[in-house]
Amino acid sequence: MRTDTRRLVFLSMLVAMGTALHVVEGMLAIPLPVPGVKLGLANMVTVLAVYLYGLRDGLTVALLRVLLGSLIGGMFLAPGFLMGLAGAVSSTLVMALLLKRTRCFSMIGISMAGAVGHNLGQLLAACLLLQSSAVLYYLPVLLLAGIPTGMFTGYLLNSLLEHEAHIFRDFVGASSGRKTTGTASRRL
Amino acid sequence: MTKADKMLLAGLLFSALISGAALYSRFFFPSAEPVQAVVSIGGKVVRTIELKPGARSSFVVYGRRGPSTVEVDGRRIRMQQAPCDNGICLRQGWIEHPGQSIVCVPGEMLIRMEGAAPLDAVTR
Amino acid sequence: MNKRFAVAICLLTLLLIAGFTLLRNSAAKREYSSDQFLMDTLISIKVYGNDPGTMKTAVTQAYAEMRRIAELADGFAQPGSAAYDASDVCRINARAGQGPVRVDRDTLAMLLLAKKYHELSQGAFDVTVGPLMDLWGFGGKNPHLPPPDRIEAALELVGSKELVLNERERTAFLRREGMKLDLGAVAKGYATEKALQVLKKHGIDKALIDAGGNIRVLGQNVHEGPWRIGIKDPRKTDAVVAVLQLEDASAVTSADYYRGFEQAGKRYHHILDPRTGYPAAHDMTVTVVTRDAGLADVLSTVFFVLPPEDALNMAGKMEGVDLFLVTADGRIRHTPTLRGRVEVKPGAAYRYDQGR
Repeated sequence: MRTDTRRLVFLSMLVAMGTALHVVEGMLAIPLPVPGVKLGLANMVTVLAVYLYGLRDGLTVALLRVLLGSLIGGMFLAPGFLMGLAGAVSSTLVMALLLKRTRCFSMIGISMAGAVGHNLGQLLAACLLLQSSAVLYYLPVLLLAGIPTGMFTGYLLNSLLEHEAHIFRDFVGASSGRKTTGTASRRL
Repeated sequence: MTKADKMLLAGLLFSALISGAALYSRFFFPSAEPVQAVVSIGGKVVRTIELKPGARSSFVVYGRRGPSTVEVDGRRIRMQQAPCDNGICLRQGWIEHPGQSIVCVPGEMLIRMEGAAPLDAVTR
Repeated sequence: MNKRFAVAICLLTLLLIAGFTLLRNSAAKREYSSDQFLMDTLISIKVYGNDPGTMKTAVTQAYAEMRRIAELADGFAQPGSAAYDASDVCRINARAGQGPVRVDRDTLAMLLLAKKYHELSQGAFDVTVGPLMDLWGFGGKNPHLPPPDRIEAALELVGSKELVLNERERTAFLRREGMKLDLGAVAKGYATEKALQVLKKHGIDKALIDAGGNIRVLGQNVHEGPWRIGIKDPRKTDAVVAVLQLEDASAVTSADYYRGFEQAGKRYHHILDPRTGYPAAHDMTVTVVTRDAGLADVLSTVFFVLPPEDALNMAGKMEGVDLFLVTADGRIRHTPTLRGRVEVKPGAAYRYDQGR
C-alpha cells in the first residue's frame, strides 16, 4: 500500500515534469520546416516511467503529458495534438519493447530509439491525416533529429541511474511487480 | 555507450542517409522534364518560354513603364534590366524551380516558372 | 489489467486517427474507366462519381449508344450482312438516284447538321464526298493520287444540294445515281455527344470521353479544376503545342498527319476539299472548341478546308465556338476568346504572337 501511494506520487511528479518540458520545448522554434519536431526532452520522463514501473504506467505518463502539454500549450484537439498522441504511443511502445526484451541497450540507446519512434509515429499520423505520402519527405530529417536529443536525455538518465539510483529505491518496491533488480544490473 | 547503442546509432545514421539520398537526389540531379516560364504584363500572357538546359538567350519585354530585359540561361531565368525604381525584381536573381516567380510591381510584370502539369487527354 | 489497459489506449488512439481520416475520405471520388474499339478507333470513357454500380451502368449504356450511331453511319458494311441492314447510310447510298429512304432520327439530325454547314461554309463541307473518297482509296489498302480527269468525273457526283431531306417524313434522298454519303466527318463527334448525354442522364457530373482524339469533357476534373487537354503538335510525336483548360466542352481536331500516303515525294492526307477534289493545304492542324461534340466535329473539318483567315472570321462570329490552328507555314493562330483557356507552347518550331 505504502509503495503504491509512493508510486502514484512519483508518477504524478513525472507527469508534471513531462508536461512542463513539453510546453517549454514547444516554445522553442526549431528551424526545420517540419511540423512537430521537438527537442524530445519531455521523453525523458516516459523512459523513466517505463523503466521503473512498466509499459502501462509508461503509457499513462506519456499520454497524460501530451494531453496536459497540449491543453496548456493551446493545441488541444488540433491535428498537432493527434500527431503528438501517435508519437507518444509509438515511442513508449518502442522503448518498452527494448527495455523488457533486451539487456544490451543503455539508456542512451533506449532514448534514441524512443525519440526516433516518437518522430516516426508523428510522421505516420501526419500521412494519414493529410491523406498523402508527401510528408514522408521529411523522414531523413526526423531520423537524424532523434539522435542528438536521444543521446542527451539518455546520457542524463544514465548518470542519474548510476549515481543517484538510491533515490528510486524508496519508490520502487516489491509490489510494483516490475524490475526491482533492474536498476543496478542495467549496464550504464 | 554500450556496443548495442553504437550499433543503433550507426543504423539510424545509415537509414537517414539512404532515405535522404532517395528523397533528395532530385535536387542534385534535376529532372529532364521540360519546364517553362510564363511572362505576363498586367495579367496578360505575353510570352511563354520553354527552358531547356544549355540554351542561353535574352529578350526584351515591354511593360507598363518601358522595356525590361529578361535573361534565360538553361533552366534558369532572371530579370536583367528593369525600368522600376526599387529594383526588387532585379535583386531577386535567378529562379529555377516551378512555382517560383519574379514580380515587378511598377511594370506590372510577372515571370512565373511552371512545371509541366499532367494532361488529362490530348486532342488529335 | 495492465496489458489490456495498454492495448485499450493504443486502440483508442488508432480509432481517433482512423475517424479523422474517414471524415476526410468520405468526399473522395472514385474513378471508373473503360475502353472500346469503335468506328475504326479506340474510344475511352472515364467517369468520376461515388457509386461504382451507377458509373459502370452509365458507361456501358454510353457505349451502347455510340455503337448504335456507328451502325447507322457505317458506310463500309457489306451487302447481305447484318451491319448493312442496320446502316442507314448504306441504304441511302443503295437507293441513290432511285428514291427517298426512311431513316433514324439521329441519322436525320446528322444529315441536317451537315447540310446546314455545307451552306454556311459555301461548300467547304460536304458529306456527299463518297465517290471522291473512293477514288482516292483512303478507306482501302492502296490509296493513290488519281489523274485529274478522274477527279473531275468524281466531282460531278459530289454536291450536297442533291441531298434532299424531308424532316416530316424522316427521309433522305440522293438525287443522282452514283452519289455516296460519307459521314466520317460528323458521326464520331455526334456519337460522342450522344454518349455524353447518356452519362448525364445517369447522374454523372464528371467525365471525359476520348473518341480517337475527339475529346468531350463534362464538368470539372476530379480535382475540381478545369480538364487539361493538350493539342497534339502536328510535327513532333509525343509533344503538345498548347494546353486547353476546359469545363463542359468539346475539343475536336482535324489535321494533316493521320491517314495519308506519299507519292512522288509529296504527301497527301485524307481531308479533301469537296470543291477541288484535292487535300486541303492551308493548315497543319485545326482544333475547334465548343460545347457540342457533333458540331465540333463538323466545324473542325469546315475550318480545316477554309483558309485560316476565313475560318477565324467565321468562328469569331459564332457564339460559343473557338478555334485554334497551326497554319501550313508554322504560325499559331486562335480566336481571341480562347485566350483565357489556352496555354500555348510554341517552342522553336512555331511562331506565336498572341494568336493574331
